[in-house]
Order: sequence, then C-alpha cells, then structure tokens
Amino acid sequence: MGVKLLLEKAHIPGIRTYEVYRREGGYRSVEKALQSMTPEAIVEEVKKSGLRGRGGAGFPAGMKWSFIAKPEGVPRHLVCNADESEPGTFKDRYLMEFLPHLLIEGLIVASFALGSNNTYIYIRGEYAWIVDILETAINEAKANGWLGENILNSGFDCNIHVQRGAGAYICGEETALIESLEGKRGNPRIKPPFPAIKGLWQRPTVVNNVETLAAVVPIINIGGDEYAKIGVGRSTGTKLISACGNINKPGVYEIDMTVSVEEFIYSDEYCGGIANGKRLKACIPGGSSVPILPANLLLKTAKGETRYMNYESLSDGGFATGSMMGSGGFIILDEDQCIVKNTYTLARFYRHESCGQCSPCREGTGWMEKLLLRLEKGEGKMSDIDLLWDIQRKIEGNTICPLGDAAAWPVAAAIRHFRDEFEWHVTHAQEAQTRNFGLAHYADPIHVPVTA
Amino acid sequence: MVKFSEEQLVEFNRLVARYPEGKQKSALLPVLHLAQDSFGGWLSSETMDYVASLLQIKPIEVYEVATFYSMYNLKPVGKYLFEVCQTGPCMVSGCDDIIDYIKSKLNISVGETTPDGLFTLKTVECLGACGYAPMMQLGKYYREHLTKEKVDAIIAECKAQSN
Ligand SMILES: Cc1cc2nc3c(=O)[nH]c(=O)nc-3n(C[C@H](O)[C@H](O)[C@H](O)COP(=O)(O)O)c2cc1C
Ligand code: SF4
Ligand code: FES
Repeated sequence: MGVKLLLEKAHIPGIRTYEVYRREGGYRSVEKALQSMTPEAIVEEVKKSGLRGRGGAGFPAGMKWSFIAKPEGVPRHLVCNADESEPGTFKDRYLMEFLPHLLIEGLIVASFALGSNNTYIYIRGEYAWIVDILETAINEAKANGWLGENILNSGFDCNIHVQRGAGAYICGEETALIESLEGKRGNPRIKPPFPAIKGLWQRPTVVNNVETLAAVVPIINIGGDEYAKIGVGRSTGTKLISACGNINKPGVYEIDMTVSVEEFIYSDEYCGGIANGKRLKACIPGGSSVPILPANLLLKTAKGETRYMNYESLSDGGFATGSMMGSGGFIILDEDQCIVKNTYTLARFYRHESCGQCSPCREGTGWMEKLLLRLEKGEGKMSDIDLLWDIQRKIEGNTICPLGDAAAWPVAAAIRHFRDEFEWHVTHAQEAQTRNFGLAHYADPIHVPVTA
Repeated sequence: MVKFSEEQLVEFNRLVARYPEGKQKSALLPVLHLAQDSFGGWLSSETMDYVASLLQIKPIEVYEVATFYSMYNLKPVGKYLFEVCQTGPCMVSGCDDIIDYIKSKLNISVGETTPDGLFTLKTVECLGACGYAPMMQLGKYYREHLTKEKVDAIIAECKAQSN
C-alpha cells in the first residue's frame, strides 16, 4: 500500500460530518497555521513541498501564491476551481463528496496565506448535490469557529461561498472561470494581465484546483520537507487518479508517484486489470486533452524503460512517444475499442465546448469533428487524414486559451500512433462498419519500436 | 406573470449577498438556476427579463449568459429530463446502447419530448462520472452504472411519481 495523505480517512463512517472529521484530527492545520505561522511562512512551506497544481498544468503552487500582487487597500481573492469537466476526470468530485471538510480546511489555510477574506468555490453546475454537501460543511465549520470573523483570535476573517456554474467546460480555464464568476459568458481573457495581478473584479486572484488546495492540509501538518520526500523528483506528494474505461475496478485512487503504469493497471490495489479478460489497446493517461498512447508505449518508454505514474515519466519522449499527467483522468481502451470513434467523440466534445472567440478553435474543432465522423462512418477519403493533421497543426498555439491545443492534441496523437487504423477505415470502409480494427501491433506486452 | 415567492426571494437575497457592493451581476448564474427551477424548468424571455430587473442589469446581459451555458433550457422540456453522457469514456463503456434503448423505450429521438410531456431525452458531454458509466443526470442527481433494467426502473419510477 502506498502512502495516503488525502483519502486515508475517506472510508471512515461519518467522515463527511464535522464531528467525525474533527475527532479524526481535522482542522489541525488551521490551528497550526493561524496560531503559529505567518502567511509568508505558509507560502514558504508550500514552496518547499514542491506541490504542483493538480488541475492539469502542473504549475508549482507555492510559486503561484508568491506572485499575488498586494496593492494597498485592494481585497484579494482565492478561487477554488471545482469545475472538473475534462473527460475522464472525476477525482475532485470524490474529494468533495466524501471529504468536504478536507477541502474547507485547505481553503482556510490557503485563504490565510493569500489574505483572502472572501473565497469562492466555483463548482460545475451539474454537481448540484455536492453544493449542498459543501454548504453544510461550511456552515458546520462556521458554527465551530473555523470560519467567520477573527478565526481562532488570529484577527483573520474568512468566508467561503459556493458558486455553481451552468454547463461549460471552458469555465475550468481560470480566466473564463473568473468571467463566469462575474456573471458573464465564459470567454477566456487575454493574458497578461494574469489573475495574480488582475483577476476577479480586477482584484489580485489565485485560482487553484480542489486537489491542490486539499493537499495544503497534509503539507502544513507534516511540513513541506516531509511532503517533498514522498514521490520522486519533481513529482512530490500524492496524486489522485480517476481511472475509467475498460478496467475491472474503475474509481478514484490516491497514488504516490512511484507506481509503474503497469502496476497501476494490473494490480488489484488499483484498476485490477482489463475488464472481461480483454487485452489493453490504448490509454489516455491524463484526461481527454493529453495524447493517447498505444499499449506498448504506455507501459514502457521509447527507450524501453518502465513508465511510471508521475509527471516526468508520463511525458518522457515528448509528444512523439509520450503523453502527460494532465488532470489524472486515466482512460483505458481495450482491444474492442475503435480509435477513430473515440477520437470523434472527443472532437465533438471540444467543438461543443469551444467558446468561439478564436477562429482556429471555433472553425477547426467543427471541421475536425465532421471529418472524423465521415471516416468513422466509412465515408472518408485518404486525404481526410492528412487534412485532419493539417487542421490540428493550425489550431495548436494559435488561440487565446489552451482549449485549442487541448482539441488538437488528441487528434494528432491518434493519427500519430494509429494511422493504420484510420487508413483501414478508408480502405475497408464496409468492414469497418461491422467490426473493429482490433489490436494490430499495439498489443501488450509486445514492444515494437515506434517512429514519430 | 413570473415573480419569485417570498421564500425564493430570501434565497435570491442570500445569493446576492455573497458578492461585494455593486457586483450583484456575479449572482447571475445561480439566480438563473433558481429561476429555471422555479418557473417550469426553462427560461422564457419573460423570466430572463425579470431576472435582469431584479439584478439591475440589462436584459441582453442575461440573454448572453443564458444562451452560453448548456444547463439553461431556452425551450420547455419534459417533466423528467434524461441527460445521457456520450463522451469517450462513456462511449467505450457502452452508452450508445443505453441511448438507443431509451429512444426505443420512449419512442422519441434525442432532443425530443414524449407527447404526454413527461420525458425529454438529451445527450450531453462528460459529466464527471466516467468511472461509473454509462450514466445520466436526472434532475439534481446522477444515475450511474446504467443497464436496460435500470432504465426501465427509472422510467417506472418517474411515471409513478408523476401520478
Ligand atoms: C479548457 C481548460 C479547462 C480547464 N479545466 C479545469 C478544471 O476543470 N479544473 C481545474 O482545476 N483546472 C482546469 N484547468 C486549468 C486551469 O486553467 C488552472 O490552470 C488551474 O485551475 C490552476 O489550478 P492548479 O494550479 O491548482 O492546478 C483548465 C484549463 C483549460 C485550458
Ligand atoms: S481557444 Fe477556443 S475556447 Fe479558448 S478562447 Fe479561443 S475559441 Fe475560446
Ligand atoms: S465521459 Fe461520461 S461522465 Fe465522463
């Protein structure tokens, strides 16, 4: 069993309630932080921990906190990103549903460190029942003196508010989230200025993911140095992985980042192997936006080394032969899955979610969706595959926000690694309607060298 | 005429109080949810104008937002809205069969409402329940690990409730 810092207590009956959570040692980090540490010392501790943002980009949290501007007389805000809409990702939901007080505890400490007296949790609108769970936890915390005015006689005031979104993946992008929190359409802003300078209501703002903020609790409890000893290299601490697709045990797992991908998929402690005795074909290891990898490149890097579940190892080989940790949404495809169809559903997703501000993203996502549907239905041409490649290249890097890239990468990776399957949909159009391509040469555990 | 009840106005005021003076527009998304829930499950232009007047913003500011977010219904929907996820992870876990089954069972296509006004079928993109697929949202809650038997039971449950 690996180290558990976040979910260790998730299975204790009643842990969702304040009494049980507190009895199990909850809110100790608030006592420690507010009674014995300065805001600067907390930021230092988080820096030392090496904690990287868990929302997808992996930006060091302590460094982000140290960037927040502190103009005289201007309020600052912490915003918790609970928009969680990246296909394959459902870890924040698990944390909020089962351990709402852990998030609230982390939010209080982070709010104190950043000087945020009014902190907002922006939660995707569909998680409607979780709003109730969070608001109950907030009220309990407030009734017990952890929120409100002059918390623990520290002179620090803090309130936490939960804001529901209304169905828009783009509102997970931090500047779109801020726009949405201001009651507007979720159109990402042009950066700079960054939120740390001008964010919510033009005030200095830090946006962090749910899991990032929950991780502040163990960091304060055990200290940044101890936290940094867990994991490997720049992948410190533990990470929540939401595993789904064709596996025996879909669910949310906390790993320390020394687990190999193979162990994660096949061991009973985690995914429990591929469902129905099938074989592994491919995996999208970090949420729908990151490159899909065929089985052979997933379990081992192009150099033939074991691949591990951490930031560095998952991205080993760059986009040519690697992928990314992303949001931790781990999607497994078995031998019966069609890569073209899977890529089509993702392209449809990004077309649906594009905010429409930039023409490469707005037009490109729709065009890719159309071409992929045509190929999937057996009505495509060989030249469509090259056209897809061309379109995705023209989107990447040419847009206001990274949704454009996020839409381009899955298409690029699918063609890069599974081109023969796309071609087969053209050359065997009829057959492709009645059966799937199967494993071809991607089978585990045979390792074939792959050219980029 | 659309108008919040006393109780709904209390909730409205609670929502607005979360933001600084003069930033009441920030309450727009939650207030639209409240309005949709209060006035028949969708947002008519009358409802949107009412929300604009309450928040002291221009009606266009409300329309802009209502048309951007997928959870706001701009047309009436059935009493029970089945929102079935169809994105990649649900697709590889068999959501297409479930969607087909609901279609044949209710005898409607995606986007349609049954003639009795009870059921509307909608397909949606990833709802953050990928590990519990196939799934759908029904009202405030998720229905997960869907099978044909479960769909039958849900439909029966809704019918019983509406009697
Ligand atoms: C299209 C798009 C969607 C995103 N969705 C989310 C999300 O649902 N949750 C999240 O925490 N971060 C999301 N992000 C990343 C945020 O912009 C931001 O980097 C993150 O919330 C920062 O928190 P962290 O540093 O703690 O990870 C998204 C980014 C993009 C471009
Ligand atoms: S890249 Fe797409 S989602 Fe992002 S701002 Fe441009 S159009 Fe909107
Ligand atoms: S893909 Fe259906 S819930 Fe995520």
